[in-house]
Amino acid sequence: MTYLKSTLAASALIALSTGLSAETIGPGGESATPSSSVVVSDGHIAVVQAADYSAALLWHDQSDFVNAVTAGASDEFERLGIEVVAVTSAGFDAAKQRSDIETVLAKSPNIILSLPLDPVTSAAAFEEAREAGVALSFLSNLPADYQHPDDYAAIVTDDLFQMGKQAADALATAMGNEGTVGWIYHDAAYYVTNQRDNAFKTTIENDYPDISIVAEQGISDPARAEEIANVMLLKNPDLGGVYVTWAGPAEGVLAALRANGNTSTKIVTLDLSEPIALDMVRGGNVAAIVADEAYELGRAMAASAVLDLLGENVPPFIVAPALAVTADNVVEGWKKSLNIDAPASLSSK
Amino acid sequence: MTKAINTIRSLDLQRSVIYFGFLGIFLFFAITLHDDGFLTSRNLTNIVLQTAPATIMAIGLVFALSAGEIDLSFGSVVAVAALSAAIAMQNGPIIYGVMAGLGAGIVIGAFNGVLVAYLRLPSFLVTLATMGLFAGIARTMTDLRSIPVLNDTFTGIFGSGKLFGVPSLVIWTIVAVAIGHIIYRNTRFGAHVLAVGDNARAAQVSGIKVPHVRLMVLTLCGATAGLAGLLYAGRLQAAKYTLGESDLMTVIAAVIVGGTALNGGKGSIIGALLGSLMMGMLNNGLILMGLQVSDQMIVRGLIILLAVAISLRETRR
Repeated sequence: MTYLKSTLAASALIALSTGLSAETIGPGGESATPSSSVVVSDGHIAVVQAADYSAALLWHDQSDFVNAVTAGASDEFERLGIEVVAVTSAGFDAAKQRSDIETVLAKSPNIILSLPLDPVTSAAAFEEAREAGVALSFLSNLPADYQHPDDYAAIVTDDLFQMGKQAADALATAMGNEGTVGWIYHDAAYYVTNQRDNAFKTTIENDYPDISIVAEQGISDPARAEEIANVMLLKNPDLGGVYVTWAGPAEGVLAALRANGNTSTKIVTLDLSEPIALDMVRGGNVAAIVADEAYELGRAMAASAVLDLLGENVPPFIVAPALAVTADNVVEGWKKSLNIDAPASLSSK
Repeated sequence: MTKAINTIRSLDLQRSVIYFGFLGIFLFFAITLHDDGFLTSRNLTNIVLQTAPATIMAIGLVFALSAGEIDLSFGSVVAVAALSAAIAMQNGPIIYGVMAGLGAGIVIGAFNGVLVAYLRLPSFLVTLATMGLFAGIARTMTDLRSIPVLNDTFTGIFGSGKLFGVPSLVIWTIVAVAIGHIIYRNTRFGAHVLAVGDNARAAQVSGIKVPHVRLMVLTLCGATAGLAGLLYAGRLQAAKYTLGESDLMTVIAAVIVGGTALNGGKGSIIGALLGSLMMGMLNNGLILMGLQVSDQMIVRGLIILLAVAISLRETRR
């Protein structure tokens, strides 16, 4: 009973993520507010600069995605005259995340932007920052039992439903709206991937009557993607398409298709990756990659925390748009998603 | 003058490197981060709190390495122990949690120990295998879910509590290091561990039960990992399968930098404590310096490399 009580928020996240909702919804059932509407106006700049705020960015890991979120947040903070005093990476280690929070509090930041690794372990980890009155803007996840607006400024995340839906639409288009599909989903109670994976499945089931999902396989270790795909292809040699929960395991699935000499099965996955995109522009198995606007996520996180410090009303649940990247728009898509130029291998094609 | 030079020459550089290294890094951060809160008592206390589980695991590893063995599985044991404790306390009192956590560590340690001591399998390979085995078991125990720990007494004793104003994790560190140091330096068992690590055949001939010593050091490793699991569960007020995953290299580096020989026969519990604190101080100071994450990793890696190189170079002489 006590366990259930304490993990209410976590359970809510999971329950909502596995539901059949047709839009991205927040952990408390909040409707999504587009990130474009969360803006610190130029009129506020003088007030913010006079307040001499500082910020810390406490990330879960390092990646192109995190770099882009950092760039978006840092540029917004620079525009507003806010110093970024520390940037950390927990390497997906909950204990390190707690240590990082304690360490940066020595510098007394007014703002912390972070991705809480896990609702349960993060609840105690962020407690000190919450008690110190730091404006907390969370990426994609929420510590259990934290209440808006008292405990945090906002959760900012991708338009998760749209990411899954656009992946389904892109795969269906590549398959001529008919055939069989394998669904490789993230086998963990993780809000982001669960919503995206289920949105793909829901869209295929509801919108594409001539496409059937004939194989389902969870994955928790990306290194096992190749063997999972091999088994899936062995049982379903005529598979028209495969959805892979994110780009890391998709690289393993692509390797399996190549090893089998399979050029007909299409892959759709989420989050940008150069090897996956290279296959796509070369007309290989990959049909599309659905990405998020990571730079915009960072900007919106920074803006929401600043608005909170200014005493403005901040929407509890903010989403940045999804972006379907195909061979035709890979250069523009890369720039829009990660705010960096597409790798030379892609732009030269 | 000659006497002074001889004295310096006679200093055991391997043992000294940790003291000089620790002091040097502390002074560097104290000066450069003077205005960034490094020297505040809260920040210095944080370093001890953050390193408490690693320090306690390092104590077990000093015994294992000194006996010529190694344990690579303790990171996985941490997760199994923390999850066992959290599950046991969902419907039971604190004692169930403590027994489940410590018990899991001791049983796994003894399992490693039996395979090494009595089946004569190399500890490197045995614990490499059990590292994967118990990491997998930790994942299946709760289907990857995190389990909250809501017992306030437990989280007080093993996490955020204080006794006479001293944080419980600091007390755990002091008590564990003191007990470890006394056993290592002042007991017959400690002498036997060093004798087995120095020359197992000679130790056997002189009447030391070598397999028993090997079993005991690996069981001790499991027990310290179990205690570290309890401390993580108390500190995070939750248990998760990823706990301890990233500790393996940190703890090994702390122990080696602290003057324990990789090939047995020589070690230091106090050195391991300083090694662990040095790792924590590096993490802390490099963040406070405002370095980018990649730069933090590069600088930390270079400093550890330097310290390990000096330590191991002296060991080979």
